[in-house]
Amino acid sequence: MAEAVIVFELPVERGKVREFALAVAEDNPIHYDADEARRRGLPDIVAPPTFTVTQMWQVPREERERRLGANLAYERVLHGEQEFFYQRLPVAGEVLTGRMRIASDVSKRGRRGGSMRVVTYESVFTDASGEEVVRALYTLMELPTS
Amino acid sequence: MSVPSDLRLGDVFSGMELAEVVFGPLERVDIVRYAGAAGDFNPIHIDDTYAQGAGAPTAFAMGMLPAGYLAHAVSDWFGGPQHLRRFRVRFLTRVWPGDELVCRGRVDEIEGRLVRVRFEVDRRGPGPRGLELPVREPALSGDADVEPPA
Repeated sequence: MAEAVIVFELPVERGKVREFALAVAEDNPIHYDADEARRRGLPDIVAPPTFTVTQMWQVPREERERRLGANLAYERVLHGEQEFFYQRLPVAGEVLTGRMRIASDVSKRGRRGGSMRVVTYESVFTDASGEEVVRALYTLMELPTS
Repeated sequence: MSVPSDLRLGDVFSGMELAEVVFGPLERVDIVRYAGAAGDFNPIHIDDTYAQGAGAPTAFAMGMLPAGYLAHAVSDWFGGPQHLRRFRVRFLTRVWPGDELVCRGRVDEIEGRLVRVRFEVDRRGPGPRGLELPVREPALSGDADVEPPA
């Protein structure tokens, strides 16, 4: 039986922030140097804008599929679109709570005919006081069978 | 990579072109490093044999890698990522090892303190042998809302 929501923790570890910042070629010191971050009015080093994709470490695709039950044929699936809404950037040392659900699941006519399925997963990340920090929309497209 | 343009709200106008930022050429190790950092171990991005079984000539980058570069470029245009309010990308075509990624953007509209920018990332490079790709084509497009410092 599929669940409506997966609730998980996303620890914003200092080392993980640096590792991710290096992977996206960031050179802004606010991702590496706490003093520099404070000089710019931030409480500590902050995560780069796309950092919450590391939720794949917390909820891998197989687990997401098993629990939310979108039942996608992954050999025909492409990542179509990604969107983030920011209240603020995650700060090193905090633990965010993620709530992931299927926000929409629709069929559209594909460019080359056939029906293309478009599934959007929404993840809302809140902080220790329950305030929203980042909301992420992850949109997959399942191409028609050829 | 630094952009000489930490723009403030007073600097921007609708239609303004933003400084072009180039990343790459993308190396295999960049893809592997991102896979580990993000936790994305889809073998199609890492394993040529697997990718060939899925009809691709070689492994290719996950879209979120150039999207991450792009978020970096947008952040640098406006004084840092802490000023981003929304960021959206669409993935148009695959990005290959050896590709350079050229980020281009412009100011679309300004509403109060909120600046909407539109951008594209072109992949530029020969592409894998056998595909005969254009040497330059749009790979990502998108838009963002930014609240730059006053």
